[in-house]
Amino acid sequence: MIREPVIEVRDLVKEFPSRRGARDLRGRGGLGDWIRGRKTPRFRALDGVSFSVSQGESLGIIGRNGSGKSTLLSLIAGVTRPTAGQVIVRGRVASLLELGAGFHPILTGRENVYLNAGLLGMRHRETDTVFDEIIRFAEIGDFIDQPVETYSNGMFVRLGFAVAAHTNPDIFLVDEVLAVGDEAFQRKCRWKIGELREQGKTIVFVSHDLGLVHALCDRVILLDRGRLVQRDTPQETITWYLRQVGNERGVHVFRQGNTEAIQCEGRISLFRSGREITAPAGFSCAVVSLGQYHPGSQAEWTVTERNETGCVVRGRLPRLPVTLWWTERLDEAGRFRWRVDLELERPCSLDQVNLSLAIPAAYRKWIYGDFSGDFPEIQPSDTQWTLVLSPEMRSNRAAALPDDASGLPPLLFEAQPVWPHTGLAWYNAEYLAQSRVLQASVNFMSMAGQLEASRISLVEMLIDPGLRAEDMAWRVRSDRVVRSGRMTVRFEHGGLRLFLDETEVTAYLNCYAALLIEHLWADSHTLQWGSSRPLSNGFEMEGVSRRFPFRQIWQVTPDPEGVHLTIELEADEVIQAQEYQVSVVLRPEYTEWATEAEAGRFASFQPEDTMWKHQNRTYPPGRQIIAEGAGLPRVVFLLQDDAPLMRPTAINTSIAENARVLQFLRTGDVGRLVFEAGRHLLFSGTVRLEAADATDNSPGGFHVS
Amino acid sequence: MMSNPWIYDSLAPDTPARVFRELVRARELLLDLVWKDLRARYRYAVMGFLWAVLEPLLFMALLAVVFSFILGDRAALTGAGTRPYAVQLLCGLIFWQYFSGAVSAATHSLVDARHLVKKVRFPREVIPLAACLVPLVNLAIGLVLLEVTHLLFGGKLTVGYLIIPLLFSLELVLTLGLALWFCCGHALFRDVGNMVSVGLMFGFYASPVIYPADLVAKAQGLPGWLAGLYWLNPMAGLLTAYRELLFVGSLSDIRMLAWPAACAVLVFITGLVVFRKTAGTIADSL
Repeated sequence: MIREPVIEVRDLVKEFPSRRGARDLRGRGGLGDWIRGRKTPRFRALDGVSFSVSQGESLGIIGRNGSGKSTLLSLIAGVTRPTAGQVIVRGRVASLLELGAGFHPILTGRENVYLNAGLLGMRHRETDTVFDEIIRFAEIGDFIDQPVETYSNGMFVRLGFAVAAHTNPDIFLVDEVLAVGDEAFQRKCRWKIGELREQGKTIVFVSHDLGLVHALCDRVILLDRGRLVQRDTPQETITWYLRQVGNERGVHVFRQGNTEAIQCEGRISLFRSGREITAPAGFSCAVVSLGQYHPGSQAEWTVTERNETGCVVRGRLPRLPVTLWWTERLDEAGRFRWRVDLELERPCSLDQVNLSLAIPAAYRKWIYGDFSGDFPEIQPSDTQWTLVLSPEMRSNRAAALPDDASGLPPLLFEAQPVWPHTGLAWYNAEYLAQSRVLQASVNFMSMAGQLEASRISLVEMLIDPGLRAEDMAWRVRSDRVVRSGRMTVRFEHGGLRLFLDETEVTAYLNCYAALLIEHLWADSHTLQWGSSRPLSNGFEMEGVSRRFPFRQIWQVTPDPEGVHLTIELEADEVIQAQEYQVSVVLRPEYTEWATEAEAGRFASFQPEDTMWKHQNRTYPPGRQIIAEGAGLPRVVFLLQDDAPLMRPTAINTSIAENARVLQFLRTGDVGRLVFEAGRHLLFSGTVRLEAADATDNSPGGFHVS
Repeated sequence: MMSNPWIYDSLAPDTPARVFRELVRARELLLDLVWKDLRARYRYAVMGFLWAVLEPLLFMALLAVVFSFILGDRAALTGAGTRPYAVQLLCGLIFWQYFSGAVSAATHSLVDARHLVKKVRFPREVIPLAACLVPLVNLAIGLVLLEVTHLLFGGKLTVGYLIIPLLFSLELVLTLGLALWFCCGHALFRDVGNMVSVGLMFGFYASPVIYPADLVAKAQGLPGWLAGLYWLNPMAGLLTAYRELLFVGSLSDIRMLAWPAACAVLVFITGLVVFRKTAGTIADSL
């Protein structure tokens, strides 16, 4: 049996008597005019619209203001009859045209629920069965027996939505209702609508929130001045719409090569070769003030400058004295640059500004600083964003790699913070949005939230869609990599990994440092490392100890002889250490070691080796230690002259850890090293890797046989 | 498929049967709307429903004082002997107040309920209908008052009382008819609201409320054509009939009701038709 469409609209025409201000004052369509036979021109809101919606389908209706969206919806709702044409609706309709429309302020919540449900066609008996569910969904609790005029705006809207959503109709008409209520409730509403959709209900949806339309609808129709101009998949119709409205106040379309960007009312969508690489929510921005969330989509947006490859837009937030300034540009390489500035008209309390960069769920892998992984699957139970990685990690770079079949380009994200406390984090968006979100948060907590009237540059985001997936990990970390000749040093997880060409010599803990304080090793891996700071020819990292009051500052720079590492200790108060060491942990294939005083072979690992074992018999202070292994680069670890004198030693790790260690160790004179509050040089040394065939003319001047 | 009550077809003809079915389905909504109105009216008043009792009582007392004492000798109202003026007054008053209260509330009802009408589809008739049902509560209270006063003034209960509901159903049909007419009239042309309130004020004096109808017949200065015109007012016949039933127990002349009945039926049927014609697009005018 072929099912009849649930909604059929045929050649629909709707005309209204035109409305003019002065006449409204006298009462609409004054009797006087009618008697005098004065005909007023009629306004045609809909003109020959036809479409149908089948069971279980969700249809979105978009179009600019005054294009007839709401008229169409009210015709489907049967609120008013068409001037010509036909509407057939087969099933019970609940219109969420305006939440709580039927509420009477003096009646209690309970009475209003029955009244409102009655308006939507429910008998009392039917309402009884869902009453508890309505109350639970609306989170009204004991207020249900209070007059609704005592309700907060949020409660009012929640109850209105809850009633409409629980009347179990076959068809839902939704008109912009989700623009109300707090963030959490909006999410809940979307969730509920998604659930209704899964239950096979038919949904007709009018919204300015194109992201939501995209997420919720199977099909979208576009109305323009009462005519149906486009009917297609959400993707196609929305893109078409955005290009069509291309030159309105808050909208600008610009391109460079095969990359195209659409700036539309507080949202940026990016396209590459005609394919959208942003999720429907696009790139957006929200301001948090006194715990209140002010999405940029609520701002009034104006494009102030525009050209073929970029624009400057201004968004005035409605409830804050804050204007967002976005400077957007596509550079010659097709990279998208987005700078966000904040202009405050008067002193204002701000908590943070969040930039959300939403990309489709077809992106499967994330890279963030040193870390990478797969995004968890987004579950139907995810009604909120979930953090993909620990917020403690800090990096200015991140990347997302797509599913191979998706045809999407890998994306590199780089934040160039102008304002200090800026952090990036990966999230999974809620189930309905089906997207991954990179959020850049600019935090004002350090200012106690209070900001002066001024214009502040916050952050510039760079999005590069033109890189190969293989290069991505490397590019994300390129801010913490130093090259010197054939040698590459990469900072990772509080240590340095050393490579000669493609060959890695380090293993396990790599090159790291540790202080022994109160019998505890404060390991550089355990420090909390921030994002890197570029130096003229290298980079600097700062790691904060969570246990002791100190920070370590590592500077990694290329050196004529190799790569130079300087470690400084910044103590907040007096620190008494027993000893400290800087080690290069090498692969187990290294077999020989040599210091200036002594040389030997690394003992082979024995099952009983559960502790680290020193290989040298004497420990005189020295400035050099070397390791060699067959077919491996020679590792030369040198202490610089400006550094405190230390003792080089060679160590075998436990058998489980299975690595060789070259270490510089410094012990206190009386078993104690006292660091006053302030900055101290701990270590300054160089690591050099020499290709196996070049060992003979090593500058070390001696050879271990 | 046609058995599905939820099918909406914008071109489906408004057959009386369909409209009736829709109305039957909306009965609970109608009662909810009535209840809403009553709750809204009395919820925050300390004395609550007591006001529904006090209002007609005080009004009656005021009018009784004015007409029995201040205008007493001139008005020649109190001379009726067997018919105490207060009771006569109350009898006319409660039925007139029902009529005028219902008509004026119903006239504005659609416009006042525009937030509903513009948002949800339901049989629009329930809005003026509810407005006409709400004042029934006051009428019921008034009837009890009337009975008590009647007995206090030495009146007797008669079998004629049983005809009062019949009589009232005529008034109700008339009220509903006018309500249907005026509420869409007001929605289309907002002047109608003012016209109705002026008309009701006219009606108050042009109906036998504060005076018995036979005074009109006895009035010497009144031109004959104006007296004839007086009886064109359907409420004149109805109010007189109520009084006769109350005091005599039977109607002296059943023909007295012919005109009001014809009026009521005519107004009601045309009202329904006009309302149905406009209801489809009434939301556009609100």
